[in-house]
Amino acid sequence: MPLPDPDGVPLFAERPEWADVLPLEQYEDVNPIAPIFYTEEYKAATNYFRAIVKAGEKSPRVMELTESVIRQNPAHYSAWQYRYETLTFLLASTTSDSTPKGALPPLLAAELTLMDELAVQFLKTYQVWHHRRLLVSLTKQPSRELALIKRSLEVDSKNYHTWSYRQWLLSSFYGADENGREQDDDDEGETIEAREVWEAELDFVDTMLAQDVRNNSAWHHRFFVVFHSGGTEHEAEKERIFKRELVYAKQSISLAPSNPSAWNYLRGILTHTRTPFATLETFVKPYTVAQKSAGDAEKRDIVDLDNPPPSAEAELPCVQALEFLADIFETQGASEPGKENTEKAVELWKSLANQYDTIRKKYWEYRIREAHHGKEPRT
Amino acid sequence: MAATPSSSSDVKVADTKTLLVDLHVSYIQKLGENKDELMYHLTTHLRLNAVYWGFTALSIMGRPDALDRDEMVEFVMSCWDDEAVIMSLQQPSGVFAGDCWGEIDTRFLYCAVNALSLLGRLDELDREKTVGYLKRCRNFDGGFGSVVGAESHAGQVFVCVAALAILDRLDVIDVDTLGWWLCERQLPNGGLNGRPEKLEDVCYSFWVLSALSILGKVPWIDAGKLESFILSAQDPEGGGIADRPGDMVDVFHTHFGIAGLSILGYPGLVDLDPVYCMPANVVEKKGLRKGWKALERRS
Repeated sequence: MPLPDPDGVPLFAERPEWADVLPLEQYEDVNPIAPIFYTEEYKAATNYFRAIVKAGEKSPRVMELTESVIRQNPAHYSAWQYRYETLTFLLASTTSDSTPKGALPPLLAAELTLMDELAVQFLKTYQVWHHRRLLVSLTKQPSRELALIKRSLEVDSKNYHTWSYRQWLLSSFYGADENGREQDDDDEGETIEAREVWEAELDFVDTMLAQDVRNNSAWHHRFFVVFHSGGTEHEAEKERIFKRELVYAKQSISLAPSNPSAWNYLRGILTHTRTPFATLETFVKPYTVAQKSAGDAEKRDIVDLDNPPPSAEAELPCVQALEFLADIFETQGASEPGKENTEKAVELWKSLANQYDTIRKKYWEYRIREAHHGKEPRT
Repeated sequence: MAATPSSSSDVKVADTKTLLVDLHVSYIQKLGENKDELMYHLTTHLRLNAVYWGFTALSIMGRPDALDRDEMVEFVMSCWDDEAVIMSLQQPSGVFAGDCWGEIDTRFLYCAVNALSLLGRLDELDREKTVGYLKRCRNFDGGFGSVVGAESHAGQVFVCVAALAILDRLDVIDVDTLGWWLCERQLPNGGLNGRPEKLEDVCYSFWVLSALSILGKVPWIDAGKLESFILSAQDPEGGGIADRPGDMVDVFHTHFGIAGLSILGYPGLVDLDPVYCMPANVVEKKGLRKGWKALERRS
């Protein structure tokens, strides 16, 4: 939590330009179960803030006052809300011909600069991000935002607000509405820009995953970019994209086999494209057995893009691979008269329950019971 | 001898193997007194939440009288805004805004559905539109995010699953995939995280457990290990529960830790309704109980 600004700025009560405002104390008549006691600076600023709100004042000094409150308490909801109201009021009343065409009004530009600083400083605050959404809806200049988000993710690469802000930005400004359809757009220039943005987005995800292949936010974003970006209606193109993603997921698993995000992604793209899990049996099997000897590892020099092997230092077998292979066997077993494959699935589940994933023992036992009772397989 | 929540006066230095009910009660009672703490004045906007967390935790521990009822009612009523109307916050997409500022989130959708249901006014809600938004928040991993396109997160899974439960639309959920994703949240130390590859945190004991219990899948996780994890995050001297062992306690984690223990059938606690996160008997009295399933209360 940030401390009040220590560098000697006088309290509002000591400044002549605020002499006309009578500060308003909180809870004058109520004795709440949880009365609030403040540091002096914060108390002063919020008392002036309440007085300003009560008077309905929307002047430039309100921007200064709310900035002071927000810097001391970035979660002060009302200060954010009133700041935005004041900003839009001032923008509407000060629009002049002096602003060059295409340039932002100075007030709005200054607000964005300030927000660039506060966004990184107060990353985990909901309000910072909502305020940005409102500002960008005014400026309609999303491109500088993508750069800001990149900086913010360098500070916290899994920040939920930052990622969802990026997703909102992409869907709102670059062509895909929330149903994944491309919005009507007659402007060819903008369409080309949108295509470039989505392509660059894939590179961006690559960079994030290269830094940390276990970043679930980045994996989620990849799915969002690949399958929600308006996409394509062409079957051949769909097939190319699916193959590319399949290779990507497998390569990532080969680098770090026990990575739930990569396995969930793999399952996600298979389910999305209605591809049977069984098509990956050859790929999955090496991940379900203990690591072979060093000699075997050396034989893997030949790069097989379709079936990249586990890295030599990987801890095997990996839980997610055992689960995946069991799903394949379960599906195969369901259509066999003798249910041989069902029993193979049961063996794998037993090994998970008793050895490799004992914390979820009850879950694996549930899977065994379900399979024996002839429940519909999942894949 | 049946295990009961231990009383702090029985032992000199309390251990953290049992729930320290007396200490937690006194911690919550003292919350309004620690006025010098910096955190305290910065959380003014959470004061109403704090009253809810504190009071619900006390009720689950069977001590609802530990706070002054009239003071609480007076404070809550002082937050009354007679211009605000829930239905005015629903957006064309079906999601709800938190207020006139316009921030949208499935959290607000849940709050609206929950409140309308308690008020007996769900008939005013466009259910199809509301459920439609939740469907679009569903992700490839079976989970739900804060808005359309956002990553699955256990807290958001709770609000979406609970809202669907209130609207009798659990059919929207891919139970197998989501149930697995939820139980995958348990880490070797017994604690639960909110997303893959993130740290465990006591509050997810509620977010994950509530969703599991609405789906009837609480037995899928290791209840004993989770219980030990929650208990180990208690402060055996001052009371209260932290996000994880050794950290500072707060009323938020105290409440959600105790709520989690109730769902796990911890002895001596009152049943918690995971859909509304309120004492089950309160929800039952209003005839609003849904088909959730917690673990059987141990004695």
